[in-house]
Amino acid sequence: MKTIRIHEADRPHALRLLTIWLVLSIVGVIVALQIHIPPGDQSIQGADQSRTMTLMTALATPIFIGVVLMIVYSAFAFRNRGPELVDGPPMLGNTPIQIAWITGSTILVLFLALVGITSLASSNVAQAVGAPGRSIGQSGGQTGSGTAGGSGSELQIQVIGQQWYFTYRYQDYGGVETTHLYLPNDRPVELHVTSLDVVHSFWAYQLGVKADANLGVDNVIHVTPQKLGSFQVRCAELCGLWHGAMADSSGKVVSQSDFDSWIQQQQQSFTDIQKAVPSYAPFYFPDPLTKGS
Amino acid sequence: MVTANLMSERRMLIPNNPITGLLLAIPGYFFGVWLGNVFGLFDDQNTGVILGYTVATAAFLVGMGFLNYPLTRLLGWPVTPISESEPDAGLSRYFRLSLDHKVIGLQYLFTILIMLLLGGIGAMMIRSSLLVPDSSITPPGQYIALIGLHSVMMIFITSAVIVGPFGNYLVPLMIGARRMAFPRLEALSFWLVPPAAVILAVAAFWGGFPTGWTGYPPLSEQAGQGMDSYIVGFGLIALALVVSGVNMLATIITLRAPGMTWTRLPIFVWGIFTTSILGMLAAPVLTAAIVMLAMDRSVQTSFFLSSNGGSNYLWENLFWFFGHPEVYIFILPAFGIVMEIVPHFARKPLWGYRTGVVGLFGVALLSWFVWQHHLFVSGIAPVLRPFYTLSTELISIPTGIIFLVVLGTMWRARIWFSVPMLFCMGFLVNFLIGGISGVYLSDVPTDVTLHGSYFSMAHFHYTIMGGEIFGLMAAVYYWLPKMTGRMMSETIGKLHFWWMFVAFNSTFFPLFIIGLLNMPRRVAQYNPALQGLNIWVSVSAFFLFGSMVLFAGNLVYALAFSGRRALANPWHARSLEWQVPTPVPAHNFDRVPVITGGPYDYGMPNARPVADFGGIRGVTSGA
Amino acid sequence: MAHRTGTLDVLPADEIRLDARVVSAGVWLFLTADLFYFAAWWFAFFYLRALNNNQAWIMQGLTRPNRAYGLVVLLLAIATAVIFVGITAGTPRTMLARTLGPAALILGAAACLFQGYAMWHLGFGLTEGGYPSVFSGLTGSWLIQLLFAVGWLTTVAAQAGPAGDTVIRPESAAAFGRILLFLAGVGVINYLLLYLVA
Repeated sequence: MKTIRIHEADRPHALRLLTIWLVLSIVGVIVALQIHIPPGDQSIQGADQSRTMTLMTALATPIFIGVVLMIVYSAFAFRNRGPELVDGPPMLGNTPIQIAWITGSTILVLFLALVGITSLASSNVAQAVGAPGRSIGQSGGQTGSGTAGGSGSELQIQVIGQQWYFTYRYQDYGGVETTHLYLPNDRPVELHVTSLDVVHSFWAYQLGVKADANLGVDNVIHVTPQKLGSFQVRCAELCGLWHGAMADSSGKVVSQSDFDSWIQQQQQSFTDIQKAVPSYAPFYFPDPLTKGS
Repeated sequence: MVTANLMSERRMLIPNNPITGLLLAIPGYFFGVWLGNVFGLFDDQNTGVILGYTVATAAFLVGMGFLNYPLTRLLGWPVTPISESEPDAGLSRYFRLSLDHKVIGLQYLFTILIMLLLGGIGAMMIRSSLLVPDSSITPPGQYIALIGLHSVMMIFITSAVIVGPFGNYLVPLMIGARRMAFPRLEALSFWLVPPAAVILAVAAFWGGFPTGWTGYPPLSEQAGQGMDSYIVGFGLIALALVVSGVNMLATIITLRAPGMTWTRLPIFVWGIFTTSILGMLAAPVLTAAIVMLAMDRSVQTSFFLSSNGGSNYLWENLFWFFGHPEVYIFILPAFGIVMEIVPHFARKPLWGYRTGVVGLFGVALLSWFVWQHHLFVSGIAPVLRPFYTLSTELISIPTGIIFLVVLGTMWRARIWFSVPMLFCMGFLVNFLIGGISGVYLSDVPTDVTLHGSYFSMAHFHYTIMGGEIFGLMAAVYYWLPKMTGRMMSETIGKLHFWWMFVAFNSTFFPLFIIGLLNMPRRVAQYNPALQGLNIWVSVSAFFLFGSMVLFAGNLVYALAFSGRRALANPWHARSLEWQVPTPVPAHNFDRVPVITGGPYDYGMPNARPVADFGGIRGVTSGA
Repeated sequence: MAHRTGTLDVLPADEIRLDARVVSAGVWLFLTADLFYFAAWWFAFFYLRALNNNQAWIMQGLTRPNRAYGLVVLLLAIATAVIFVGITAGTPRTMLARTLGPAALILGAAACLFQGYAMWHLGFGLTEGGYPSVFSGLTGSWLIQLLFAVGWLTTVAAQAGPAGDTVIRPESAAAFGRILLFLAGVGVINYLLLYLVA
């Protein structure tokens, strides 16, 4: 086994670099930990994303500082100051250092991947993206009165994207279709995202939710709001002319009682148009698209 | 020895030049449209437009003289071997079908710089529009047309911006070859680019296309005739990638001079080698997807229409299976450039040459296994996500190796701060930021928020513009003396570097924040609260454009007005391409040189000269 | 007008040997690339077949393409490749090339014609679901490549004269046989998928 032997001439440089790096890194990590990275804590999933991003920033800061420091240090310490070109020492490589570098980066990468994958697999956050949900139609939700605390019954809501707005259908409430998204607080929600035409992407920013809406596809995503307040809904996949205007800032996380009264209102106004709306289904195939018109 | 020369092949039917090409292309277009209307199954114009562009391109290539060789063969006439062809002379050779790799390299360089200017103007128009949060400066239709044209134009450019000019010009010089393996294919790979650019630009007259460079159906099937430009233009570029990849690989494998062993190969050639593998294998997949899209739009098949037995995921998978290797097609030659240039200015051997080559291959290999990270939120099978998170993050390891090699080369060096060296260091900083931000996007939970936002847009601009284009600038400053015999001003060059570096970071770093603050890509309207940051970015972008104007001025001045001839080896570099005279002789080397030393053996007490130019008569390859 | 200089001097042996290596490497590389092209289509075949969106992979009552007819086209393509490889492998090349070259050419052209005819009379509309899409695209791609290959085959045959390129650089001409074999092999896989698996 070879060990890393530091060459006589390297020692002062290495020592200096290490000191500066340590100081800057400590400062950098402390600063990085102070930054509040969106999306924030309006949902369990969003809070997890913020945490992960903070962790990544804290880990990336020393790496960034280290590499930039090396570059800047080389620029000053290893600059050729004389008028003549002088060749440097012919160093062809150093196997222990290379092995150490590769091992270090591998460990770091595996750790980051592990963080990502475990949070993907953990019970709450797992549901942020596309964990398979109950299939539509076998509603097991208690109509109208979910229990707080996120135990059991998930509220099923269908998100329908079309050029250029989203509508929502509450399966547990007779498939009532609404133009705004209201979610009861502290209750797990299962969103079924689909599209009637081109690909859209349903992005509820403060909730940390994003899922593509595809024609003929039921894309399932889970979210559990944990704080009252409003959130932004935006389309995040280029969907044509008014993609930029496909936004709605009136999504709301409300208390269960507010939600109940709101949904009742919606059901009343929905009865007038119910006949014109197709019955609730996992996805819908409207008239064939005209291609290349 | 062989009396027939290429001039005979060239003048067989008609004078071959771009004007003839254009004169044939225009009726070719109308013929294609007519043909499409005869065979078109439905009363839309797409069949006609697609066929029109295709026939026009074919007619243009015939006009350029690409049919002469097959015709010569068909008529049973004697065929001239490439190795005996007469060299071209005069300025007009740059406007004709030339089989000289040095001419093709320069044709590529200037064509692509002009395209870069067009794409850059597009970017400025986009940033102007985003000065206001509503679409009062640019209507939304024009805005999405602009982003489509900007993005696809830039993808065309970045696919070829290093391999085209520098790969073609330098690879034979660096490996001690007198030519490329397939000069006709090499010429073809270049002459496909101008038609692709023109066809893409023509989309503007159809109102552009609304899909950006990703071309997601069903939007791309719903779109108007501008989309057909995307299809044919991208198809031509894909073809050029395959052709150039095959040519580069065959050249590097078979035409290395005697003594040019694999471990003596300049690292830039390794960069071209790996990028060629990716281009050659990824582009056919894109071609297949493009053909499907063309069929969906013209003869009404339903590859991507889920109501009719298709699936838009088919496009997304095929496109990104091409698309992710594609982004490494951009960056691998830039890695090559940085690792190539730094030793010459650090005056030290490349530190860890073999590790660097392994790094290049590691990136190339892993790039095939990551494409679904573009589809994390699209609704594909969730069980695949951990794998793609892991494979994507694993790419940081070979990328880290590249950094280690460069940092190791600079360690205790005697760095000469010339402009190419500055751009290499700028590359390192920019690409570091680009790479780190990529880790945020590779992790599924964080990607949920970042996907499709300005964060990812900032990420790939850091890697492509901050990485590849900075590499390109280093290459232009470094190799221009060899390629044109003119040297760009070092003083203006240094000003250019600092201006570009500061303006670039000032433009793109705030975009990470804008993305985190809920601004999706490709929107003409955005949250008014973000207007301040957007104005900052736009103004910085205008400054960035200014730095490119300075670069253009420096380039034009050096070429046309300075009148100063560059030395044959102004950088006192060891590598083979600097040992030949400037301008480079017709067949590069009178005799194929025998390679006797490594290209980076600076400071080595027993270093042998890089090559023996006496050569062995008759020997044209070795290794 | 072209210079028609009559007999070409024989190239240096080294040059010919090098050229053979270059062309051989180029053909292998091109075939790898082309394999990825067809692999994309095969992926599309299995992907759409597995998804069967809206039950429209094969719609009810769809007329399947005729298996026997497809087999004829396939056998023609295989025969073309085998004959070509046979003549470029055997000696003396000139004589054989002159007699058998046209035979390969005719077979190849017949394969193209037959396939073209089949494409014109599919028996189903292209709008009728996933399978018709993949069938027309995959077979069409194969046909176009076969057309180009037969076109090149024509030039190889035309250069089979005493001072022709085929005779001067036989290895380069022979390398082309790999492309014909490859296309025949792709034809076999396509046939299995489109006529039997689907």
